Amino acid sequence: MSSNRNLKQEINEKLMDETLRGSLNRFAEAYPIARAKAYESVDDIDSLRNSVRDMKIETVENLEKIADQFEEQVTKRGGKVFRAKDGDALKEYLFNLCKEKGVKRIAKSKSMATEEIHLNHFLEEKGLHVKETDLGEWIISIAGHKPSHMVMPAIHLDRNQVAQYFSQELNKDIEPDIAYMVQEARIALRDEFLQADMGITGANFGIAENGATGLVTNEGNARLVATLPPIQVVIIGYEKLIPTIKDAVPILRTLPRNATGQLMTSYMSMISGAAPALVKKDGQWVEQEKELHVILFDNGRLKAAKDDKLKQIYQCVRCASCLNVCPVYTLVGGHVYGHIYAGGIGAILTALLNSMNDFKQINEMCIGCRRCTEICPGKIDIPGLIEYLRAKSVEQDGLPFGVKAVFENVLANRKVFHNLLRLASIGQKPFTTGRVIRHLPLFFAGLAADRSLPAVADKPFRDRVKKVTKKIDKPVKRVAFFSGCNIDFIFPETGESVYKVLQDLNMEVVFPEDQSCCGKPVLGMGDHETARKIAKQNIIAFEEAKADYIMFACPTCAETWHLTYVELFKDDPEWSKRVEKLVHNVREFTSFVAGEYDKVGRLTKTSGRQKVTYHDSCHMKRGLSVHTEPRQLLESAPGYDFVEMKDCDKCCGMAGAFGVKYTELSMPILKKKIDNIKDSGAEVIAVACPACMMQIQGGLDKQAPTIKIKHVAEIIAEQIKE
Amino acid sequence: MKKVSNNWKQAFPPESVGTAFFEEFAMRAQNVAAKVFRVKTAAEAQSVIAEIIKSSDAKKVVATPEVVSPLNLPTILEPLNVKLYTEQSDIRTHADTSDVGVACVEFGIAETGSVCEDGLAIEQRLITTLPPISIVVMNSANVVPTIAAAFETISKVFDRGYISFITGPSRTSDIERVLTIGVHGPSQLVIIAIDEEIREV
Ligand code: SF4
Ligand code: SF4
Repeated sequence: MSSNRNLKQEINEKLMDETLRGSLNRFAEAYPIARAKAYESVDDIDSLRNSVRDMKIETVENLEKIADQFEEQVTKRGGKVFRAKDGDALKEYLFNLCKEKGVKRIAKSKSMATEEIHLNHFLEEKGLHVKETDLGEWIISIAGHKPSHMVMPAIHLDRNQVAQYFSQELNKDIEPDIAYMVQEARIALRDEFLQADMGITGANFGIAENGATGLVTNEGNARLVATLPPIQVVIIGYEKLIPTIKDAVPILRTLPRNATGQLMTSYMSMISGAAPALVKKDGQWVEQEKELHVILFDNGRLKAAKDDKLKQIYQCVRCASCLNVCPVYTLVGGHVYGHIYAGGIGAILTALLNSMNDFKQINEMCIGCRRCTEICPGKIDIPGLIEYLRAKSVEQDGLPFGVKAVFENVLANRKVFHNLLRLASIGQKPFTTGRVIRHLPLFFAGLAADRSLPAVADKPFRDRVKKVTKKIDKPVKRVAFFSGCNIDFIFPETGESVYKVLQDLNMEVVFPEDQSCCGKPVLGMGDHETARKIAKQNIIAFEEAKADYIMFACPTCAETWHLTYVELFKDDPEWSKRVEKLVHNVREFTSFVAGEYDKVGRLTKTSGRQKVTYHDSCHMKRGLSVHTEPRQLLESAPGYDFVEMKDCDKCCGMAGAFGVKYTELSMPILKKKIDNIKDSGAEVIAVACPACMMQIQGGLDKQAPTIKIKHVAEIIAEQIKE
Repeated sequence: MKKVSNNWKQAFPPESVGTAFFEEFAMRAQNVAAKVFRVKTAAEAQSVIAEIIKSSDAKKVVATPEVVSPLNLPTILEPLNVKLYTEQSDIRTHADTSDVGVACVEFGIAETGSVCEDGLAIEQRLITTLPPISIVVMNSANVVPTIAAAFETISKVFDRGYISFITGPSRTSDIERVLTIGVHGPSQLVIIAIDEEIREV
């Protein structure tokens, strides 16, 4: 992969590829339904996923022992095990084997590990005849493409394109009729199985208990590859090892359901030891033991197993469902991820198994929406690992000079940062109407094509605190409000509503002046050093406030405090203690208020005239697990009639810097959101996250100006008489 | 014929096997386009097979020794003028051009509609992979409810060899995600479940 990709251009090309867009769109619609149906017969999906995760965690803890046992058991049953530390070692071993045994023809069934090192290309260059036999893999191999999806490698092609490639390969006119093309492929590939001297398969799992390898497929090619040729090679990554035969159960109950919405694939085979094969001797077929070679493939996997966080990749069963629900993948497909693994997990695997440089170019293709983590059978924290890797790369190579300078001199210095924001409020004057900037200087025009950008408020919230603070006699609690930059400088009205609602609950609310940005933008860029500085300022400010609760009306800030601050100081006993103490008091506004209202019977359902719908922020729903409470508040707000919209919990496409840097990706995601809001018939869209508010408001302004957006805090504040 | 186990029956978890699970098994197998016949006797199974051979106009059949004699396949195939191959070397030579393969499988799984094949013998695998019509014969009492129960069974007998789950015919969705039946494996899977025991233990 070239080190200087023009990623933006590649993205734009994919966005213009109508075949790709159409197919990914249809797939993104159909997949969640198919998956849900496949899980109907599973009582407790969560505990099933836990069993995948726990089994794999246990395996990686004992990886060396399990790999040894696996090797011993394969060897005991007549197989040879070779441990390949990297692609070169694997290639050398395999090529020597071919030379030694006089192998000329090789039939392959799907193996991502071999694609990882471009094995086919290598063998062909050495003069061997190599055929992929999985239909999708065969198609992309004759097209000369890389797989664009781990389970459906040719999803980027339509029948007409496939027919063209078939015509070239088979030297005849092939009609673009799918059933017919599949039959042609069957005929064309049959001899490949029958004549191959060697069969190469991957493996979905490898069992240490008896050295068996498991294959999960639909077409039947893997069975043929593993049955017909007299020499069998299995290439299996260390992450596929499992301890016992029974440990295959959780994999087999999740992998087909998640990958293709099937209860089980057409074929699942487990092969232990050298099985009988038939070879022709003097015109007769005679049985002999197969020659079995199992290659345990490292290529970065063993190093990852030793890293406390990165070892999570061992929980991956390669179902690719994380791609299927990913708002970025489903827009642009797999090729822009550069190497062969696509999507969020692909970015991680690319970093570990290929190169950090490739990762660096694509790591921003994750907007942290956490949809993938919600359905991953192994419960891998994909966005978390991406952030972790990003931080690692920043630690190693530093940030680009300009960025670092801004972080250190501006974001880490509250006064400078806030002054800058105040200046922005004046600077933007000629361009604003109401809450949004409608016309930007030409320089920014691309950013605002389908979305207006938010305007910085005339008067930040910190300057309004005095006016909205009420003296509470005998307050029941003392609450310190952490506004976050968005509420402070863009949506100060939301802050005013928060005050109003909490004071109405007889609570004393204070605003620690020295609070600054929570640090998320800096963390997002992987700069933990600056993030620690910012975090410390906030911690000091809130210690001094001596409050019962620290209140957040922004889920991202809450999550950063709650999870990341703890992480940031885990090696610093003093600060770690101080954080732990505060974190205990962190409360998210909507869930807190819903709880308080419930106590005093203020959560009764009402039905008013104005239709309101709710957008689940990713951080709110999947980060903080808050989704019923804001709905309860809306349902009980007089004057409103709550309705759900389609895909209410799909990302709005903002996600901090991503939404600005990759506008071309952010906009189509936003457009879908706006369409769903419109289709719900709602006059008001409620959110509980100021970042979503910024993004959706910008989209509404351009695409549906009659629909209003409000933070849930504003809607409940409206109900309170002064 | 080589097998992973010659006595699968003793490996079933006693609480979790039986005809009670047959209905769900058949339903799920049919959902994935398998044809399921449940018959009482070997004789009835013979007529089902004869019917399939006739209606598909088959000319060549490969079958494992395990299924040939209990179902007396020669007596039903000869009158139809159908060639039958049952020896290992013949199977290797003719499986690719045969119309139908007939073999036994060990049990069914209700959760998924799969059948479990003991595939240590290469003739078994050639027969269930190469011909376009695959007929598999099982005992209707040998159905386990779940994948977990299936593995409970397997883990007792599986030391070495080759074990497969077969779930419906071969399929692909690799072009435009359109489900297409019959790629490299059989395009038809017929499951014949017999109530009486046809194999000796
Ligand atoms: S990360 Fe999870 S969802 Fe993605 S391929 Fe791996 S197991 Fe599947
Ligand atoms: S967090 Fe969202 S954007 Fe990132 S990989 Fe997962 S689904 Fe894709």
